[in-house]
Amino acid sequence: MSKTSQTTEDETKRTDQPLEVTAGETREQTQDEWTDYDFESQAKFSVEDLDVYYGDDHALKGVSMEIPENSVTALIGPSGCGKSTFLRCLNRMNDRISAARIDGSVELDGEEIYQDGVNLVELRKRVGMVFQSPNPFPKSIRDNISYGPRKHGDLETGFLSNLLGRSDEDEVDELVERSLSQAALWDEVEDRLDDNALGLSGGQQQRLCIARALATDPEVLLMDEPASALDPIATSKIEDLVHELSEDYTVVIVTHNMQQAARISDQTAVFLTGGELVEYGDTDQIFEDPESQRVEDYISGKFG
Amino acid sequence: MAGAVESSLVSEDTSGTEAVAAGVVGIAAILFGISLGSMFELLSITDPIAGIPMVALLGTLLTLLGLGVIGFGLGSRFGYVATDPRPSAGLVASVAFSGIWFAVGGLVASQSFGLGTVGWVAVAFVTGGLAFAGTALPREDIGSTLPVGVFAVFVGVVFLTGVIGPSWVWDLGWEQQASFNAEFSIPVITAFCSLLVSWASAKAYGGFGARGRHVGAYLLVYLNALSIIAVLFLLVAFTVFKGLPGLFNGLTFGLGSGPETTLFGFTFAWPFAWPFVMNGVALLNDVNGVLPAIVGTIWLVIGAVVFAVPLGVGAAVFITEYADRGRFTQVVEVATNGLWSTPSIVFGLFGLAFLVPRLGNGKSLLAGMLTLGFMLLPLVVITSREAMLAVPDEYRDASAALGVTKWQTIRSVVLPASLPGIVTGIILGVGRIAGETAPILLTMSGSVAPPGSQTVDVIGGFSFTSSPPFVSNPELLQATSALPYQLYSLITAGVGQSSNIANIEQFRWATALILLVVVLSFYAVGIATRYYFRRKLQHE
Ligand SMILES: Nc1ncnc2c1ncn2[C@@H]1O[C@H](COP(=O)(O)OP(=O)(O)O)[C@@H](O)[C@H]1O
Ligand SMILES: [Mg+2]
Repeated sequence: MSKTSQTTEDETKRTDQPLEVTAGETREQTQDEWTDYDFESQAKFSVEDLDVYYGDDHALKGVSMEIPENSVTALIGPSGCGKSTFLRCLNRMNDRISAARIDGSVELDGEEIYQDGVNLVELRKRVGMVFQSPNPFPKSIRDNISYGPRKHGDLETGFLSNLLGRSDEDEVDELVERSLSQAALWDEVEDRLDDNALGLSGGQQQRLCIARALATDPEVLLMDEPASALDPIATSKIEDLVHELSEDYTVVIVTHNMQQAARISDQTAVFLTGGELVEYGDTDQIFEDPESQRVEDYISGKFG
Repeated sequence: MAGAVESSLVSEDTSGTEAVAAGVVGIAAILFGISLGSMFELLSITDPIAGIPMVALLGTLLTLLGLGVIGFGLGSRFGYVATDPRPSAGLVASVAFSGIWFAVGGLVASQSFGLGTVGWVAVAFVTGGLAFAGTALPREDIGSTLPVGVFAVFVGVVFLTGVIGPSWVWDLGWEQQASFNAEFSIPVITAFCSLLVSWASAKAYGGFGARGRHVGAYLLVYLNALSIIAVLFLLVAFTVFKGLPGLFNGLTFGLGSGPETTLFGFTFAWPFAWPFVMNGVALLNDVNGVLPAIVGTIWLVIGAVVFAVPLGVGAAVFITEYADRGRFTQVVEVATNGLWSTPSIVFGLFGLAFLVPRLGNGKSLLAGMLTLGFMLLPLVVITSREAMLAVPDEYRDASAALGVTKWQTIRSVVLPASLPGIVTGIILGVGRIAGETAPILLTMSGSVAPPGSQTVDVIGGFSFTSSPPFVSNPELLQATSALPYQLYSLITAGVGQSSNIANIEQFRWATALILLVVVLSFYAVGIATRYYFRRKLQHE
């Protein structure tokens, strides 16, 4: 803990910026304020003192925040400030980067996900993820959707299960239709489910990836700039979709587009260069009346 | 900028000159084709074409082409044709042309005028220097046409006057008595001249300058590609023509005319008899054949692939997906590359020293399969690894984010996406091992011209036994032949004269043709497989 504060202090001295969070103590208070922030629903994730290093590069510095259930939380900030890094901590995708080292605690529904014996398969089934550029598998649309459940053994298909009369083809059809409908893609692809997914447009591919993530029946959906590679129409489709999904899912979405964050999110977290979480609160409040000068500057476009 | 030459986007009407230049390029290309054809003995230098002796025809054409090229240069220089030449033809052309004229001067001085070494070198330097100056100093339209045109005219006159005629021989005077006869040198010289001429006239066609250079380069690249394809095609055609008579020798059709065969317990008679692929070599055969070698080659390739592919792909999965990238993977990579470059006879020796003693202590099909499998292994590892590295990491991330384990990801996403690349590697490898002679010679070969009864029957040879390993297949442990080895023994050992092979020359070519057919069949299977896997990966 003290280490984190130390770093913040140094940072402050060096950059000489009027910081909301200046010294360890003030910082504690602010963090407490956020932590006690009266969200309407209960916390899905509680992150505490999260530090991430890539080798010697300290990419996230002492981040603490609570992400409430069934709502949209936007992470904004200039590029390189650690938004993706933070997002990848929530489903432990950072484990896949050999240089990454993670300190701190992340609880999902009160359960620590950074402890020994955590079942990554189970964690990632509950916390789905959508990436910046659409990445469907070079398989049919149907196979893309059913991929997760089939690999988890929740659905059986294929030659052997056909032979044994245990095939879940009907369930697969149901799942495919349900997931694609949820992702607002069903109408566009219903008559070409067996075509290769790479034949879809970029926006359709991204919605397919959302459908694929939904197919494993997650509770949380992490989205890393899901619309940054798409045209305005496809982007607005994704935004509508995110809005709808927030009724049943906890959505955490990274974006560098502030209008987008303002439009679709309930809470906004502002990360600024250096890997700090500078301010976190209701989206309206962050955009209308930020407490931190740096955040105000960033939002009004003065830097970042 | 008053007085500057007005340049317009639409060039003036030059279609007449362009047509002539295109015609010259066309004739030069035909000449090039003729010379290629005669190099491969499809046309004969000594035979007349339409009553005109071949050499005279070539000489006339070359002279005309040369004059045409000179005409383009002069026409452009004196403003009869609108062109856009640069100040100089450039250094590369100058060096190349001075080289050509150095050789011409030297040859004329030493051969026609009998000057000694000092004399011809001096003359060669003079002509070479003149050509250099003549190319580099004048404007591009003269520099890139005149030296070429004069050279073509010179060669044409040499052909016409019979200085180099059909019976001319260039004795190199080396100890091995190497010599080039007219059959070879006339086509080569003609091809060279026509290349130069077509390049120069293509430049003229493009009006010199940037566009001319572009057209000239385009033509050279095109002719180069075409002649490579033509040479490959001629090579195959050569084998096919030579091999066909022997291949179909004694072919008869009719119900029950063929030999009886038992396959999977059914006995039936082929509706045709094709002795070359259905017989072995035996004194009593009317027509002898290479059946044992064909079957041996097919089993050999199948065995090697079955052995090497699972091992190779598995190794590639390990070093690509599991091992950390670093020293270890680098060493493995260098080692596999080295193994692939290892000469096949070394693999053969390994097979002889290591495998043969452990597999029944005699040469056998199995030893051959394993030896060739070891040869194939490094290539499978290399290409599989490349193919897996080419699979985007996004797929792996997407799969991991769905909570799918690494091994399942490899099996369901990485391997399917890399299958086309893996198959490509197998195709290349099979092409190499199917033609290997040395390892077979050392590990597998039995009699040099095996009779039909020595055909291996791998499927029929399997039987179950009551003791471990519960299966046995004596056929695998028998020595047998393969096509490359049979060909080798037919050619070098003079095998066959004693074995009632009527026309040994025909028999060799037919064997070569069959080998080609077998390899190309494997190739076709590979291409079809790759196409199938690729289709599955792509939207269409
Ligand atoms: N795989 C990685 N290896 C090393 N450094 C990384 C890696 N990913 C991100 N970083 C570093 O971490 C910092 C934050 O990156 P990131 O989380 O991608 O920022 P953002 O998503 O906000 O643009 C950057 O300085 C970046 O260079
Ligand atoms: Mg990012």
